[in-house]
Amino acid sequence: MSTVEINRISKSFGAVKAVDRVSFSVEKGEIFGLLGPNGAGKTTTIRIILDLFKPDSGEVLVFDGPMTEAKKDRIGYMPEDRGLYQDIQLDRCLIYLGTLKNLSTAEARSRVGDYLERFDLAQHRQKKIKELSKGMQQKAQIIATLLHEPDLVVIDEPFTALDPVNTQMIKDILLDLQNRGITLVMSTHQMHQVEEMCDRIILIDHGRSVLYGDLAEIRKRFSGHAVHVRTMDELPDLAGIKSVQPHNAIHQLNLSPGTSPQEVLQALVDRGIVLEQFEIATPTLDEIFIRVVQANED
Amino acid sequence: MVKFLRIAFHEYTRHVLRRRFIFALLGMPAVIAITGLGIYALIRLEIDDTPIGYVDQSGFLADPVAPPQLGRFEIQVPIYDFINETDARNALEAGEIQAYYTLAGDFMVTGLVDLHYLEREPSESAQEQFESFILANHLVDQSPEIVDRIAEGSDLTVRSVDGSREFSEKDIVALLMPFFNSVLFLIVIFTSSGYLMQAVVEEKENRTIEILVTSVSSNQLIAGKVIGNISVGLTQLIVWIGFTLGALEIGRKYFDFLIDLTLSAETILLTVLTLLPSFIMVAALMTAIGATVTDEREGQQMTGIISMPIWIPYILTWPIMANPNGPLAVALSFFPLTAPITLSLRVAFAIIPTWQIALNVFVLFLAAAVAIWFAGRVFRIGMLRYGKRVNWREMFGLTR
Repeated sequence: MSTVEINRISKSFGAVKAVDRVSFSVEKGEIFGLLGPNGAGKTTTIRIILDLFKPDSGEVLVFDGPMTEAKKDRIGYMPEDRGLYQDIQLDRCLIYLGTLKNLSTAEARSRVGDYLERFDLAQHRQKKIKELSKGMQQKAQIIATLLHEPDLVVIDEPFTALDPVNTQMIKDILLDLQNRGITLVMSTHQMHQVEEMCDRIILIDHGRSVLYGDLAEIRKRFSGHAVHVRTMDELPDLAGIKSVQPHNAIHQLNLSPGTSPQEVLQALVDRGIVLEQFEIATPTLDEIFIRVVQANED
Repeated sequence: MVKFLRIAFHEYTRHVLRRRFIFALLGMPAVIAITGLGIYALIRLEIDDTPIGYVDQSGFLADPVAPPQLGRFEIQVPIYDFINETDARNALEAGEIQAYYTLAGDFMVTGLVDLHYLEREPSESAQEQFESFILANHLVDQSPEIVDRIAEGSDLTVRSVDGSREFSEKDIVALLMPFFNSVLFLIVIFTSSGYLMQAVVEEKENRTIEILVTSVSSNQLIAGKVIGNISVGLTQLIVWIGFTLGALEIGRKYFDFLIDLTLSAETILLTVLTLLPSFIMVAALMTAIGATVTDEREGQQMTGIISMPIWIPYILTWPIMANPNGPLAVALSFFPLTAPITLSLRVAFAIIPTWQIALNVFVLFLAAAVAIWFAGRVFRIGMLRYGKRVNWREMFGLTR
């Protein structure tokens, strides 16, 4: 049973169709990537999932049914433009937001204390949010999202304004959540993060779904008939190779129809070539993203 | 705890613990106290307590009774008897007295008294004290009841033939109390509702609103905010009323006109019944404004839409007072935004038919309920609208 099930939802604002018959599902325990260029309809889709907007048509099922007030307590949401009171103390703000997710004040206080220690913010607990650095505010926002131990986390651009150390920390936290069976819907522009973390993705452009499915399958689908080879030796002429494209230290060998990567690997080994890297050439998600969006515009 | 109560508690503590609220809370009584002390100091400086004298050529004050005792804050001016005008004149020129009176030989027939001073006329208080001294000596053979009656004067009440209007000059302060109550109440309403609007605008600006509405329903959010806001206002009101009552209690010991100052149970009930729904109505509308505007400055400008109609009866005070049960006054009583002040003005100068009061109160409570409903609808569309104000057509389209 899917954690989130979206069936042909549409939403218009005046003459602008922000979301147009989009369908997808998010399975329990996976990290699902919601991708798309600016203004594609990602945020509107997230707001429809969270019941902030009602769709003009279509159906949204969360935890096997329509959204209810009780289900809101099982969801953690981190908006793109952060959402913390700027002029109250960090711990007071987090405790208040925790109690709105049905934690008792004592429980919220205890969990906030633990999280502040874990996120290295304990010494800043008495500071007003506006006195914290961007990175600290981001960590505080993550705490507010996770404090009530949600079953579903919807997180919009989680890595914005973070340095590499904090990015890695957030990434570790999100992967830890996944390991604990928590479902994540993550909207981001940072494709390398999606490649590293997401199980499945949907790419939305101009409100429409243009790419959807398992990330590995998508990459395979977009991969050409080629292999990447890195070696210090000179590449010999091989049968079944249509062309060779050198790219820095890596050569892309475009294979003729009927030639398998396995045959090429065998031929290289037989010729005594010392291989440092051999892989089936698949495009990066960045390349797929650009290719799909450009094709959609054409 | 129910979520909207948590919101209410958060809103309450967030505002009452702010420095500017505490400053406003204690600032108003402090300003009044300082003003009162300043006025008292000015009066003290104004009154010259140098003795005044008199020369009685009629024999009326041959065996005078002492001047009446004054209140604690009033300054007694000593009154000296001089044998002849030469002595009095010498004392005046020597600065021993500030002025002297001469009672003519035929004073008992003509009542003729002359006042002599050099440059500065004696203060009004000094002259009144001498007049009281003369009056006390006129009444020396009368019973204390008659002395008190003459000293206090008459209490004139003007009453219309149909009994719907009456006015007593003695009760003027008491009559205007409901009016002053309303003004005080409305200041509180606008102060605390202003905080509420500001809080909503801030939540929109820093996007906290998105977190809130994914945790609670917008109805719970508005209910919590309105309750928190009313609690802030009530705190302000209780402190101010407490201060006022304390000041009245102290004032009664020193000022006679405050002794009879009381508020009837009916007046208090009417004040509560009209101003409570007004409070809810204004708070809800302020929430709606907060949700529709893009920043605090724009919100401040928009509040005029609510505050201007509320203060319109002030502009029309004279026609309302002149005809408190006339068509204008009655019509303004039925319009929710003008009703609070109009009713307080009318109740000061007329007896309002019970059915009208009941209907006015009903309309106000209905308006409060509609305002909350309207605020909820507008809030839902405005809360996630950044950088662009919700226009009137959208609001109208929503509520249609």
